[in-house]
Amino acid sequence: MTFLEKQTDPTTPMHWNGDMQADYFYSNGVAGDKFFKHLMKKDTFLASMCPECGVVFIPPRLYCEDCFCGIPDENWVEVKAQGVIRTNTTAMMDAHNEPLEEPVVMALIEIDETDGAMLGRIKTDMLGMDLTGMMVKAKLRPKKEREGTMKDILYFEPY
Amino acid sequence: MNDVAVIGAGMTVFQRRLKETGKELSYLATKMALEEAGITKKDIDMVVMGSAPDAFDGIHQKGENLLDGAAGAGKPYVRVFNGGGTGVFAPIAGWWHVASGVADIALVVCEEKMGNCYPHPQTAFRHIWDPILDRPLAPNLVWLFAMEMNRYMTKYNIKKEDIARVAVKNKRNAVGHPCAQLPDEKITIEDVLNSEMMAWPVQRLDISPPSDGASALILCSKDKVRQFTDDPVWVDGVGWNIDSTMWTNRDLCFPRYVANAARMAYKMAGIHNPRKDIDFAEPYDPFDYKELHHMEGLLLCNKGEAPILTREGVTERDGDMPMCPSGGLMGVGNPIAATMGQKVCELYWQLAGKAGKRQIPGDPLVGVGQAWGDIMQMATVAVLRRG
Ligand SMILES: [Zn+2]
Repeated sequence: MTFLEKQTDPTTPMHWNGDMQADYFYSNGVAGDKFFKHLMKKDTFLASMCPECGVVFIPPRLYCEDCFCGIPDENWVEVKAQGVIRTNTTAMMDAHNEPLEEPVVMALIEIDETDGAMLGRIKTDMLGMDLTGMMVKAKLRPKKEREGTMKDILYFEPY
Repeated sequence: MNDVAVIGAGMTVFQRRLKETGKELSYLATKMALEEAGITKKDIDMVVMGSAPDAFDGIHQKGENLLDGAAGAGKPYVRVFNGGGTGVFAPIAGWWHVASGVADIALVVCEEKMGNCYPHPQTAFRHIWDPILDRPLAPNLVWLFAMEMNRYMTKYNIKKEDIARVAVKNKRNAVGHPCAQLPDEKITIEDVLNSEMMAWPVQRLDISPPSDGASALILCSKDKVRQFTDDPVWVDGVGWNIDSTMWTNRDLCFPRYVANAARMAYKMAGIHNPRKDIDFAEPYDPFDYKELHHMEGLLLCNKGEAPILTREGVTERDGDMPMCPSGGLMGVGNPIAATMGQKVCELYWQLAGKAGKRQIPGDPLVGVGQAWGDIMQMATVAVLRRG
């Protein structure tokens, strides 16, 4: 049987136990503010279209990284909060390398009517299998509970 | 530009948790490289340190902490880092110190001490994401790579066993590497396929282990190299390229940024047909599927063809196009930046005929090494040539 390396106790060598504590408030940004303020009121997403190359960004952006031009207000478009799974995983372990209580199905979802994709959790019983091509739509928090963060998207589910 | 040669290299043992501090590891690797080159600290004009996220060692701006162990005190010294790309980017930075003519001899040291971070170094990767769009979903890197692996498998209809074959090859190749953390001459494809599921389709033995370690490389100008050797190994070409951080807008089945970096390096090295002109490669293999992905990105085979060539034995040490003869990250270990030891030092050792039990038969002439990092976006490539 091969050697399966697991956690090794970091306290074995002589050591000093320290941390790097720091807490943050991250700005949503100009494009982010607009996207999340919309999401607090509507059940759709906002995207933004480059006036030069026509690429539709989701999440929306203030500028096109290729043409390197700004995207004016009139190029912001409303799109359905749904799409198609490009790829997915079923996570069994957390970031500390410990088993999750419940497996998490996470996917990259190509959002309809855009050229972009969003990371999202998928509500499904189909664990440990490829879900490429599955059509899913966003399940949002009830409007009065929305806070203007990605957490307002509870998950995506097949439709 | 001045021609740049390699005159020495060094590498510490790689382990999950070493007693030595980061600067002590740097010292050990540097001392080995100096001894191989037959020079001392006073012969070094400039020093480049490569070390990836501060959060592993747990020291902000750790370059300054490490410098005295890297023969950097009192010298022109700079730290470079671009995540997993650092292991090949640091020698690229060393190359431009010498190629530009500002240094005759440049020392490159790469260090990582992941074992300081607990409960697991993956913890540090929670903070590399876009804080607004990605972090609220609490993803981690293994999940991300699992999605890329699934995309690659689905697009080209690749079986998991053909990916597991890379893990087996590299862990077997690592047998005989004096620094190796996970050599295993008895490992089988079944062992990989039966190992614990981390994030489907990634299993524990698909992933290289976190490690502590350091490596070092000494670069020398053409004007000075004859003092040290009659048969130099040259850095013939370097390339680097980074794709958008908006990784969600990429197809994930082909690493175009690797191809861009490879084309830059091949052009500089005068390589027109990489499949014919390159004898062996050290593609970056933190996961087994990444070796395949990167073979394709390095233009060493067609898209989707890497698993077939691997199955046919082409990439074995005695095959037509050996991949990761060092044992790679999968077999030797993955102290992020310090993997310069497998990806560039190994090219030098192979081309100089100093690879011992790992020596590729047939006197290879040209090797390419590559690293990959940040959020699936950074590629760094170096081509080395003998004679
Ligand atoms: Zn554009």
